[in-house]
Amino acid sequence: MTSKIEQKLRSVARELLEQGKVGTIVGYEAGSLKFTNTPLITKDKEAADRLVINPFIINNLSVFLKDIGGKVGVVAKGCDIRSIVSLIQDKQLARENVVIIGVPCAGIIDLDKIEKLMGKDRDELDDIVRENDKVIVTVQRSKKEYPAKDVLIDSCLACDQPKIKEYDILLDEEATVVCDDEASRSLIKKLEAMPPAQRWEFWKSQFERCIRCYACRQVCPACYCKRCFVEETEPAWISPLPKWQDNLIFQVTRMMHVAGRCTDCGACERACPVGIPLHSLSKKMAEIVQELFEYQAGTDKDALPLMAAYESKEAEDLIR
Amino acid sequence: MTQEPNFEPKILGFLCRWCSYAGADLAGTSRKKYPANIRIIKIPCSGRIDPLLIIRALRNGFDGVLVSGCHPGDCHYQTGNYRARRRIAITKKFLEYMGIEPERLQASWVSASEGGKFAEVVAEITADLKKLGPNRLFNDK
Repeated sequence: MTSKIEQKLRSVARELLEQGKVGTIVGYEAGSLKFTNTPLITKDKEAADRLVINPFIINNLSVFLKDIGGKVGVVAKGCDIRSIVSLIQDKQLARENVVIIGVPCAGIIDLDKIEKLMGKDRDELDDIVRENDKVIVTVQRSKKEYPAKDVLIDSCLACDQPKIKEYDILLDEEATVVCDDEASRSLIKKLEAMPPAQRWEFWKSQFERCIRCYACRQVCPACYCKRCFVEETEPAWISPLPKWQDNLIFQVTRMMHVAGRCTDCGACERACPVGIPLHSLSKKMAEIVQELFEYQAGTDKDALPLMAAYESKEAEDLIR
Repeated sequence: MTQEPNFEPKILGFLCRWCSYAGADLAGTSRKKYPANIRIIKIPCSGRIDPLLIIRALRNGFDGVLVSGCHPGDCHYQTGNYRARRRIAITKKFLEYMGIEPERLQASWVSASEGGKFAEVVAEITADLKKLGPNRLFNDK
């Protein structure tokens, strides 16, 4: 069953490849597990028929763009487009080398949340459908309804930019998002209410679980350094052993290095195999950047990057 | 916060080689007295500061870190200190969110003619850190 938007995407992708407007298409195809998708990177116009769009397209595909040469057509949701814009601002990508195929996105459904609510594995579910502000789950012909804000990904709940601004082709009209910033920052709020020592203990316990697989870094479109500080050996900034102190330093430094470029897309949190709540770091960082410098990552391709710009008077109260 | 008698904080100072380092020199040559708690590293510009250097100093047991550079508008490289300011501001706020007391990261503008100000800044920071107590953040137990 192909939806209208998928049909349009497939014909658009095929056309782009056929006319030589792009050399490569980056999109999503159905994954091997139920409801999941996997990135599809292809030069073959026949493969365009495998492209899909559904409420589970979680990957931020902009991470692949830098490594693919030539002109690339990319399927991108609003948040992915912000990452692309950020890469353009950083001169890592030339605007004319990407054809942005914009997908209006009403929020991505978090399968973990659905599994938890249903008390069932995703394999046991027959169907999950998004209808406006509701998500309907079908199991053996019985339907269960959830408010969308209970089952969307935390980063999606913080989405305040449903309107796609930068695109070449838009697949559909705008979607309406279900925004619940309070829910998205519930852990941040809890942490902020704690005394500093308790906050430190919380993060310490989180990074004791970190195995330093660097998945968070690999999926991050803003982490494009050819050589990351963690791999430097002279000096070795952090120990290669996954001790919590070094794990914490790695992540905190990573967050600070991507400040102003991180769009809080949430890819790092979803990639984390041990479930460290990284969204509560990246969202907090976005809030700090907004509060101090009124800057939002990836919203204006012609703006100077946060760390390259300055005002003559700002943040003065923080310095003696 | 544990009160420890005779606690002498160790402070790592990153001083820009054009202004603050010369300011520290001036404090010395003009025989200004300031606590010996600070260990100084000369950096080419406050814009050299990477949050990594700050957090690594704390990891290695320093009780506090001072970053000091030229006053806004006086940077030898025109804009290095403005860039440092953005980075320091973000680092300070973010480390605070992690649970690191904001007093442990200090920043100041000290010009080459402000030996007196340098001595004052070091004295103030030392007093702040004495009140705060030793940095045990990265200890295992």
